[in-house]
Amino acid sequence: KYMWLHKEHLYVAFLDIKVAWLGVNISLFVVYFLTFDRGEKYFYTRQILGSALPWARASAKCLNFNSMLILLPVCRNLLSFLRGSCWCCRRTMRKQLDHNLTFHKLVAYMIALHSAVHIIAHLLNFEWYNRAKQATDGDLASTLSHLHEDDGLWLNPIHSNTTTPLYVAFTTIPGITGVIITLCFILMVTSSMEFIRRNYFEVFWYTHHLFVIYFLGLVIHGIAGLVRGQTDKSLEESNPKLCAGQYTEWAQGNSTHCKVPEFQGLPAESWKWVLAPIILYAFERALRIWRSCQKVVVVKAIMHPSNVLELQLYKKGFNMEVGQYVFLNCPSIYYLEWHPFTLTSAPEEKLFSVHIRAAGDWTEALIDNFKQPNPVMPRIEVDGPFGTASEDVFQYEVAMLVGAGIGVTPFASVLKSIWYKFQHGDQGLQTKTIYFYWICRETGAFAWFRDLLASLEQEMDESGRAGMLSYHLYLTGWNSSMVGHAAVNFDRSTDMVTGLRQKTFFGRPMWSNEFSAVAAAHPRALAKTLQKYCHQHSSLDPRNVQFYFNKENF
Amino acid sequence: MGGIEWAMWANEQALASGLILVTGGIVAVAGQFKNWQFAAYSIAAGVFICLLEYPRGKRKKGSTMERCGQKCFTTVVKAFGPLTRNYYVRAFLHICLAVPAAFLLATILGTVCLAIASGIYLLVSRVLLR
Repeated sequence: KYMWLHKEHLYVAFLDIKVAWLGVNISLFVVYFLTFDRGEKYFYTRQILGSALPWARASAKCLNFNSMLILLPVCRNLLSFLRGSCWCCRRTMRKQLDHNLTFHKLVAYMIALHSAVHIIAHLLNFEWYNRAKQATDGDLASTLSHLHEDDGLWLNPIHSNTTTPLYVAFTTIPGITGVIITLCFILMVTSSMEFIRRNYFEVFWYTHHLFVIYFLGLVIHGIAGLVRGQTDKSLEESNPKLCAGQYTEWAQGNSTHCKVPEFQGLPAESWKWVLAPIILYAFERALRIWRSCQKVVVVKAIMHPSNVLELQLYKKGFNMEVGQYVFLNCPSIYYLEWHPFTLTSAPEEKLFSVHIRAAGDWTEALIDNFKQPNPVMPRIEVDGPFGTASEDVFQYEVAMLVGAGIGVTPFASVLKSIWYKFQHGDQGLQTKTIYFYWICRETGAFAWFRDLLASLEQEMDESGRAGMLSYHLYLTGWNSSMVGHAAVNFDRSTDMVTGLRQKTFFGRPMWSNEFSAVAAAHPRALAKTLQKYCHQHSSLDPRNVQFYFNKENF
Repeated sequence: MGGIEWAMWANEQALASGLILVTGGIVAVAGQFKNWQFAAYSIAAGVFICLLEYPRGKRKKGSTMERCGQKCFTTVVKAFGPLTRNYYVRAFLHICLAVPAAFLLATILGTVCLAIASGIYLLVSRVLLR
């Protein structure tokens, strides 16, 4: 069996959740649209509002549904628990859980869409209600708007005929909460744009906590019951189909078989949707705090070339698997921020390690701290480990590992683990051949990994398994002097860049030999190309070669 | 926090505000709401803001990912020199543009979003002046 690049299963697995979710959205929308568009209860409401009513209610239902879902993909401890305990549909289920952030963003986009629909529909509703209240032509809409002005059975929530929709919005609970939560949502969305998130993470992270106000406002939003339908009792006494045409009679109390219709508001229901996820998420945050209180010792800090910091840490009871990642928090830098880092140590080691490259404020601050002449060991908090796609690697006979730049870090863990399993003669190791591709811009970044490969080379020679690991290093930031140097030193047995036995290639991998040519610098382009060629090279017959594609992108 | 270029977020926020102003304006004009003239203004203001804010400014540190097809917009925006380069002017411009849209419910969300963008630009320009 070949590992790592799969044509059908991954797509189908993730597609399952997306399709199901989309299906529920569409069903909810259609069902509630029809309820409010055709329902007798809302006949008189529709006389004033037209089809703006069903549009507003259908989108509201979808907003409740998606607001319920949006917190779930970011409960990473819960997901990790599910990942570990879902033995029946292991591989496909676990791969779906890897896409939690993608799903979170999808749901956010859906909330944005439904919010737009909901707001536009209610803008129309406010305007129509106001017009009906101010109309003097005595038509049905106008008549309905003046009913029950003194008791609570009114239809039109606007009680004054000299007001504006703007004033009404800011003097009603749904109006104010609606504006506030929409504003919070917009701020969350603009600060979550990839450009902002990747370059100014704190702006994203702190602004995103506006979600607390969003949920609070959402729960309060519907309590005023401004969406009105006819009461059941009133429907019996005054059936709209029969009585609507005679409104001039019952409005003056002259009708015998049609009473004046009476209305009541819909109760708030958002809390029923979002209460459970809020509790789950609160529990998730509490768990992170509890984990962060557990003592972590920074045993060793090593500065590698190219501004890469290696931290070797110890935490009592910490258990990891190959290729997992942890979230680190350094309260002395930014109190509330947690950042993910792949573990570069093997599960067999006593300490666990991460390699951190300078890529933003937080990482730069951490690295700067250790560059001082007498660095202070800052307190580090650890949450995790959390699973990624690398866990399955040892169950496959052949593994094909591709890492671009710092993306090679999970494979440091994989290769180290192989080394340990060799040393201990681990029977669980099924892997017989590993093809390893590392694509990098500059030589300096090789340094810490070079030592690992050098020791592996030696170990494999000594164990007589020299052919097991075949690695290909590609230097994409090369210049002509490097090439000249390489040409001169071609005959040397070790590579002049890395000192390793297998030679460094200059330029990008010739994927036509392995898969096809690829743009190595951009992780997303790399993944797409690899995925594409995995489809191409996977056989349609499941008994033949299948490439299973697993990707991690931070 | 000192290294954060807040103007980048202000830019995203202002762009979003422009789109919201246009949307709200279209709804009010199409529905012929009372005082729909403010909405008509809002559409024009929104389009102008989108054109102004579409080109993403160059970051002080690191590489800047340009928005798709922003080159032609950049040429026009740059032609106005200090009027568009200066964040203080932008902050003032945005708050002025936002005010007329505050009279209609359909466009007030755009007003508030634009006011926030204006506030962030003001904060940034204050830092520069210091």
